[in-house]
Amino acid sequence: MEKKNYNIFELMAVVAAREIEDGAFIYIGTGIPMLATSLAQNMHAPNIVPVFEAGGIAPQMPTLPLSVGCSRTTHRTIRTCDMPEIFEMAQLGVAHYAFLGGAQIDKYGNLNATVKGKYNAPEVRWPGSGGANAFGSLCWRTMIIMNHEKRRFVEKVDFITTPGYIDGPGARERAGLPPGTGPYRVFTDKALLDFEEKTKRIRLIGLLPGVSIDNVVESTGFELLIKDGLINVPPPTEEELRILREKVDPYRIVLGRGDQ
Amino acid sequence: MAKPRIEILEEGSGQIFSTITPNEFREHMREKVRNAWQDKRMDIKTAIEQFVHDGDYLTMGGVSFVRLSMAAVHEIIRQKKRNLNLAAGTRTYDFNLLLDAGCVKNIDCGYITGMEVFGIPYVTRKRAEMMITSGEMGISEYDNASMAWRHKAAAMGIPFLPIRNMMGADAFKHSAAKKIRCPFTGEVLVLVPAIYADVCIIHVHRCDIYGNSQIEGALNEDLGKSKSAKKLIITTEKIIDTEEIRLSPDRTLIPCFYVDAVVEIPYGAHPNNMPGMYYVDIDHMNEYMKASRDPSGKAFEQYYEKYIFGVDNFDEYLETIGGKKRIEYLEDLEHLRVRE
Repeated sequence: MEKKNYNIFELMAVVAAREIEDGAFIYIGTGIPMLATSLAQNMHAPNIVPVFEAGGIAPQMPTLPLSVGCSRTTHRTIRTCDMPEIFEMAQLGVAHYAFLGGAQIDKYGNLNATVKGKYNAPEVRWPGSGGANAFGSLCWRTMIIMNHEKRRFVEKVDFITTPGYIDGPGARERAGLPPGTGPYRVFTDKALLDFEEKTKRIRLIGLLPGVSIDNVVESTGFELLIKDGLINVPPPTEEELRILREKVDPYRIVLGRGDQ
Repeated sequence: MAKPRIEILEEGSGQIFSTITPNEFREHMREKVRNAWQDKRMDIKTAIEQFVHDGDYLTMGGVSFVRLSMAAVHEIIRQKKRNLNLAAGTRTYDFNLLLDAGCVKNIDCGYITGMEVFGIPYVTRKRAEMMITSGEMGISEYDNASMAWRHKAAAMGIPFLPIRNMMGADAFKHSAAKKIRCPFTGEVLVLVPAIYADVCIIHVHRCDIYGNSQIEGALNEDLGKSKSAKKLIITTEKIIDTEEIRLSPDRTLIPCFYVDAVVEIPYGAHPNNMPGMYYVDIDHMNEYMKASRDPSGKAFEQYYEKYIFGVDNFDEYLETIGGKKRIEYLEDLEHLRVRE
């Protein structure tokens, strides 16, 4: 295989950035979502509004933050508020996108960040929701970033921390969640996925460079829908890599972790 | 069409750990507020002795690695407070230390044990799993938003708030929330119970001797928390003159009549970030994470011995982490004068 001139974090950031349209209001977490948002802002989407959970609205970050509340996230904001206000903006319908991660995801995009195994006798206890449940419930569209592994892409999550389409079409609305919301894209280290309109199930729509359909299917623990006219996601352009490396994360605070 | 009525559609089975009611809180505040203009300065030892009791419901300010009142956490651990009920929305290092030290009985969970980019400390996670399995620790499940709104509800003087998340999630089943139909719109809403705490501790940038407090950077849930605790301990980087407060009153988050104690502790959030002053001590966090990976727990014990039990106060602690030189480096980091 041809030697790649980028690492997996750079690739995932580029793929996610391309899906962010100008003018979008986005909740971002630490890590790849921050790279993606900042890259989009420096390329095709200068008019987005990035917002951090602990209160930073549209900061001009001098360098990448270590957490969603650290001083980098409130550097030169247009307003710094408190957490109720942050979540109330999502409840109000202001927020187009939220980037979320999770330890497990199932075919309806339900996310588990709480517990592996039984709730009362956990095999592994993870930190829990954080802001994820509210963002995934209240933002118009949820973008999910995860490593593509069979143990993470499971038939049914052990615990729904953040509901996706729960158990199928209409389930979110029946549960009482605001209509018209839900997971929109899943970005992994292997593929680009969306949710098929009729069934609300995860569907493969694009392969990252060097990855085959079989690779993706083998790394997925449930029956994967595959879109007709599957695309091969183009690798990062010189320009995308330059901006990522020179402007977004010059000290490789996050990008460096993709080298391992 | 039939007129919609309030009906309870579904209830979680989680426990409510704070039993203070809005009316009880009103009675408490009626008297407390009379102390608004008392000089409330004291040392951290006295503040914790006087205001934090075994079995209390405790809520703490700051978020993630930002503005955590570490001097107070150390003192709670040294004084061996037990059976605390903890509001655990957005907690990291502060919560982990209290859990490891055996101070925690029950938690309202939003985010626990995680250290964001640093990962999850192994020994702490194992302890949490063991305490959940044995029933030693009670948990009710929420998320950062519902926890923030629970504090906000209390600060509004009401017993609950209706919100539009938590439905469709398994956390709901393990919470004390209730699902209802809205009597105005007919839509499904979740009601989350207010948290009136026994005691709240918040670290701020500056305040006067009465506790009028100003904060820079992200405000997290501190507005709601500060108003809805029976006792409020303010730890502060600096005590300033009330005249300075009056020159920038729009920066004041917490007025003095909510405050019970003012404790001046420079660099009191270390190893966390104090926005505009000093950055996260990444090396210290890595040392903590490394110690947490020793499954025997020995390395962790040494960590606690070195930094908490082996010192008497926060000044001594600051010496162990490298003193003035280290702090200056963290100030340089915050102001981008040096690279991470």
